[in-house]
Amino acid sequence: MRKNIPLWVGVAVMTAYFLFPLYVLLLIAFNPAKFTIEALYPPPIFKQPTLNNFILAFTQYNFVSPFLRSASVATLVGIFSVALGIPAGYGLGRLSSSLAYPLLVLVLITNMMPGIVVAVPISTEFIRLRLFNSVLGLALVQTLVTLPLAIFIMQGTFSSIPREVEYQARLDGGRFRSIITRILIPVALPGIIAAFLISWMFSWDEFTYAVILSPIKPTLPVEIYYSITRGNLLTGVAFSLIFTIPVIVLTVALQRYLKGEYLSGGVVR
Amino acid sequence: MKPTDRRDIPYLFFVLPAIIYVGYFAFYPSFSGVYRSFLSPHGGFTLNNYDELLYYNLGAAILNTVIVSFGALIIQLFLGLVVASILVWEFRGKKLFSTVTIIPMGIATVVAAIAYSFIFEPRGGYANTLMHALGLGGINWYSNTPLSLLVVMIADSWKNTPIFTLILLAGLSSIPRDLYHAAALDGAGVLSRFVHVTLPNMRKFIAIALIIRGVQEFNIFALPLILIGEHPPLLTTFVYDLYSTSPTVYISLAAATILLALMTVFIALNIAMGGRR
Repeated sequence: MRKNIPLWVGVAVMTAYFLFPLYVLLLIAFNPAKFTIEALYPPPIFKQPTLNNFILAFTQYNFVSPFLRSASVATLVGIFSVALGIPAGYGLGRLSSSLAYPLLVLVLITNMMPGIVVAVPISTEFIRLRLFNSVLGLALVQTLVTLPLAIFIMQGTFSSIPREVEYQARLDGGRFRSIITRILIPVALPGIIAAFLISWMFSWDEFTYAVILSPIKPTLPVEIYYSITRGNLLTGVAFSLIFTIPVIVLTVALQRYLKGEYLSGGVVR
Repeated sequence: MKPTDRRDIPYLFFVLPAIIYVGYFAFYPSFSGVYRSFLSPHGGFTLNNYDELLYYNLGAAILNTVIVSFGALIIQLFLGLVVASILVWEFRGKKLFSTVTIIPMGIATVVAAIAYSFIFEPRGGYANTLMHALGLGGINWYSNTPLSLLVVMIADSWKNTPIFTLILLAGLSSIPRDLYHAAALDGAGVLSRFVHVTLPNMRKFIAIALIIRGVQEFNIFALPLILIGEHPPLLTTFVYDLYSTSPTVYISLAAATILLALMTVFIALNIAMGGRR
């Protein structure tokens, strides 16, 4: 046990490091303002815990419409990512690598392009197409962030299904479409759900495209940003906590899929 | 045409929708943005948009972006190594600890930025509470550019340490345990094993993590916007500032083009790295 002391010190320090910012948010959310934002040196403990900040935030400010907008954009992004990601992941898995690699790189590049460089030119185009400030327009652009990830997850899923399964089904007289819908999709279902949920989560958090392409009808992260810049700090914090709950739940649930190789864009193998 | 190529054709059709999509929504706008950055509002070719950028703080924006990127990468690399080296051990509560270490990934950038804005307040704040308890005076964290950039680095590192951890952990687990046993038998201590066994074997993973995160580091936007606003500027907040305050879009397109040009270097490096594996 004694020789493990450095290990336990490391665990304790890093746990404190990772949890401290969340603890600060909780302090501000559940303490009266005089012990948090109005104090010069705010005490790092809960004094007189209260729910007043939440009651005030949710009765005085509009939480519902940005919440619904965020949820609809995220759901659309999930659908688009899966709809494009399933065929692309399947095709890339079956193509010879001399063709698959450059196509993969092409998709990867979009993930590395600065969001703001894409968003500014699109904004003028969207005004023309009446997609500015719309749920559909924002979802179409946010899919850029999630599609590469969805493709990697789908490619990984399909490559774990042996080709022999497909050949066998074809020999048995199955038609191409029914092979896909009856055999490949059901087997790949866990991967598809993971791709959908991860896309949903990334869209839920996305800020750059949201603030540039839908400034008048903000999604939740943009609304929180507005609250903070307008000085409604407590409202911003209360909204932040509620906003965070679905993402924490999904992150912990999807821990298995949040592997270095996906996040790094498939460069690590 | 080789026979394998012909067999590829049906599979190409599966990939086509995704390619068309990224072409229309990512490549076309970026190219049109670059093209329009050379246009005057009346439609003729001009370099005026770029000239005008020099009146704003383009140089400072580039310098600050480089400083924040390098600083944040070093912090994340260090912390990522610490966490990954803890996670290769077996200990009670390891599962809980590994969940804690990925929590920042589940926190939206906006929320992380807000939490850090309360930790580092101009007057007071939780960081200053700590300084106060240690008997030190309070600090205005935004009194000068280096300090402001440090706040951005710290907040960004918190949010992104998990990505480093995950990549480095993949590398650490690929090192055969026997190497450590052999080194320990030869009398190597913990530090010496880290320097002579861990680091050499990790070189590839560290490089990959640095380059991948380097790309994303150049693109950070929400975090600096909330913590320090547009001053001191980073390239992304600089573009946004021009976009939201100037009457036409052309100057911000010129700034965006410069950001894209710098990114292209990173992207090329990234692809070269990927190609060598």
